[in-house]
Amino acid sequence: MLPIIFIMPILQLIMFGYVIGTDVRDIRTAVVNHDGTPEAQLVVDSFVNSGYFKQVAAPTSDAAMQKLIDGNKAQVAIVIPKGFADSVHAGRTTQVGIVVDGSDSKTASVASGYAGQVVASLSKKLYPALASVSAGSVDAQVRVLFNPTLRSVNSMVPALLAFILMMSTQTTMSQAIVKERERGTLEQLFVTPIGRAEYLIGKLVPYVIIAFIQITLVFTIGTFWFNVPFNGSLLVMGAGLALFALTALGLGLIVSLLSKTRYQAQQATTFLMVPSMMLSGFVFPLESMPKLLYPISYLIPLRYILVIVRSNFMKGSGFIALWPQFAAMAIFAIVVFGFGLSRFRKQLND
Amino acid sequence: MRFPWQKSANETRGELPVADAAHAIEVHGLRKTFGDFVAVDSIDFNVNQGEIFGFLGPNGSGKTTTIRMLCGVIAPTSGGARVMGYDVTSESERVRENIGYMSQKFSLFQDLTVDENLKFYAGIYGLSDEKFAERREYILTMADLHGRENEMTGDLSVGWKQRLALGCATIHEPKLIFLDEPTSGVDPTARRHFWELLHELAATGVTLFVTTHYMDEATHCNRLAFIYRGGIIAAGTPGEIKADLMQDTILQIELDDGEGALIVLDGTPGVQEAYMQGSLVHVNIGPVPLAESNVPALLTDAGFAPRHIGLVEPTLEDAFVHLVTAQRTDEAL
Repeated sequence: MLPIIFIMPILQLIMFGYVIGTDVRDIRTAVVNHDGTPEAQLVVDSFVNSGYFKQVAAPTSDAAMQKLIDGNKAQVAIVIPKGFADSVHAGRTTQVGIVVDGSDSKTASVASGYAGQVVASLSKKLYPALASVSAGSVDAQVRVLFNPTLRSVNSMVPALLAFILMMSTQTTMSQAIVKERERGTLEQLFVTPIGRAEYLIGKLVPYVIIAFIQITLVFTIGTFWFNVPFNGSLLVMGAGLALFALTALGLGLIVSLLSKTRYQAQQATTFLMVPSMMLSGFVFPLESMPKLLYPISYLIPLRYILVIVRSNFMKGSGFIALWPQFAAMAIFAIVVFGFGLSRFRKQLND
Repeated sequence: MRFPWQKSANETRGELPVADAAHAIEVHGLRKTFGDFVAVDSIDFNVNQGEIFGFLGPNGSGKTTTIRMLCGVIAPTSGGARVMGYDVTSESERVRENIGYMSQKFSLFQDLTVDENLKFYAGIYGLSDEKFAERREYILTMADLHGRENEMTGDLSVGWKQRLALGCATIHEPKLIFLDEPTSGVDPTARRHFWELLHELAATGVTLFVTTHYMDEATHCNRLAFIYRGGIIAAGTPGEIKADLMQDTILQIELDDGEGALIVLDGTPGVQEAYMQGSLVHVNIGPVPLAESNVPALLTDAGFAPRHIGLVEPTLEDAFVHLVTAQRTDEAL
């Protein structure tokens, strides 16, 4: 207990200190190069060399680019039109298309800002004779998909569905068993004909129902009151949230079994909550995380469910586009909940 | 394991099955180890139908582990036991349907009312509505809780909680009840009242298996077993256990610095055991009369001024101190 009291503020300081105030970098970028000339390559290099953009794919068609964005593999796409170099040589004004995924409003607004800067600097490079009046320039044609006004509530509401689900199930579950052990009712129940499975199901079901009502409320208020457009499917979102609920319940179960008192369980839950909030992309974009901390985000279940709910909610991405996140969620659910169950069995048999 | 959609044994049979075994509990070679630690070391004993059986021993001696095995909560490492005729390992669910269990924690849901606790336990044991109405009436009368049905259990006094816990543990009218230190932390009046209830239950033919560390309570039992470091070191009626000690002389000494006197007496030739009994010092000097004992002289030489030295009949507590000392001496040899 004592170490936690002192380690916690240090960890929080590290997370807050490094995650906040860091620039968004390495935004996943797809380049659709319809031109293929050295001039077009200069455009790509300018984006990559700025450090803000990282090329992750080079789709050949707009449809393929759209797929990458649906699956959250790319957050930004740069589209260089055919005849780009010819226009430059002719001294005509040219355009570079910037497609931004608006489902994560924070990253999207930062990305479109950076893109504008990069494109502005391109004009100087491509049209050295800017002094002459007749010289053209490069224009950025920014198109924000799914959330054109970049309302932050549009990406916050879907994320809240997952976050509230986690808060509610993990916190209540972590108290559930430790409370009964403190009071002695656990001991009493196991000398009655109640089976272990019955007990556990009885413990889980109310919390699942409560969580279900909570997220239904958030969803309803979010879509009707805050006018967040829902373009997804309830099936996809429900499946993702159900897998996530299993993970959260499993974590709560483990905390409850390992804690000796309710106070300890509460501390442990808070301890787990902070990295989930900071390192999952819930508050701060994953791209703003320092390189050293970034790998930790892979271990945070909230990271994957956020992609699922945000992408599904706004982009309508389905199972096919989101399969890697679903696979990760399933692995978490099996490992975490499975460990909780085995721990539960073991603890009661000794 | 049973799911809600499955019928309990009670429902399918209509009535709680009555054990046909001669003994309420038969224990043979029961052993439980946790890693290298032997918690219960191959113990054997029987508990007769309808008796109050006292299971005594210091903390950590294996009492609770034994009860947990007998209730079918944990599986024995080896050996086994039959409780109300059912095997604790292979028929643990049957065992749990046929017993009542109450621990010192009075395992009630503190944030439920008296009535809700009763309903909850009635539900667990699958009581019918008529049966529940009858049992509820009986328990409220027994625990003197009429008029408090809607009070929060957490607000009740300890004595009430204890009687309600007994009520919940016996709501399904088990023929065997395990009571794990049921009176610890309860005031003497409530303890006496509680034992009256236990005697009433025993009079109806219910078998009681009680652990306690109050020696005066042990005398309420028909038979006793004393467990020490995982092994049973004595068993029998209170009289039989004391008989072993009857030939020894027990001195009761009244003096100011009892603890100081123990230091002087401990390990001295002519002193078998010396220990505090309340504020008095008890000394077992073996089968010698007081007149031949060197104890009074020893104390005077060491500067103590005993106000009174007299003989006492050995009590159960004297018997247990003697048994434990004998056990320790054996282990040291």
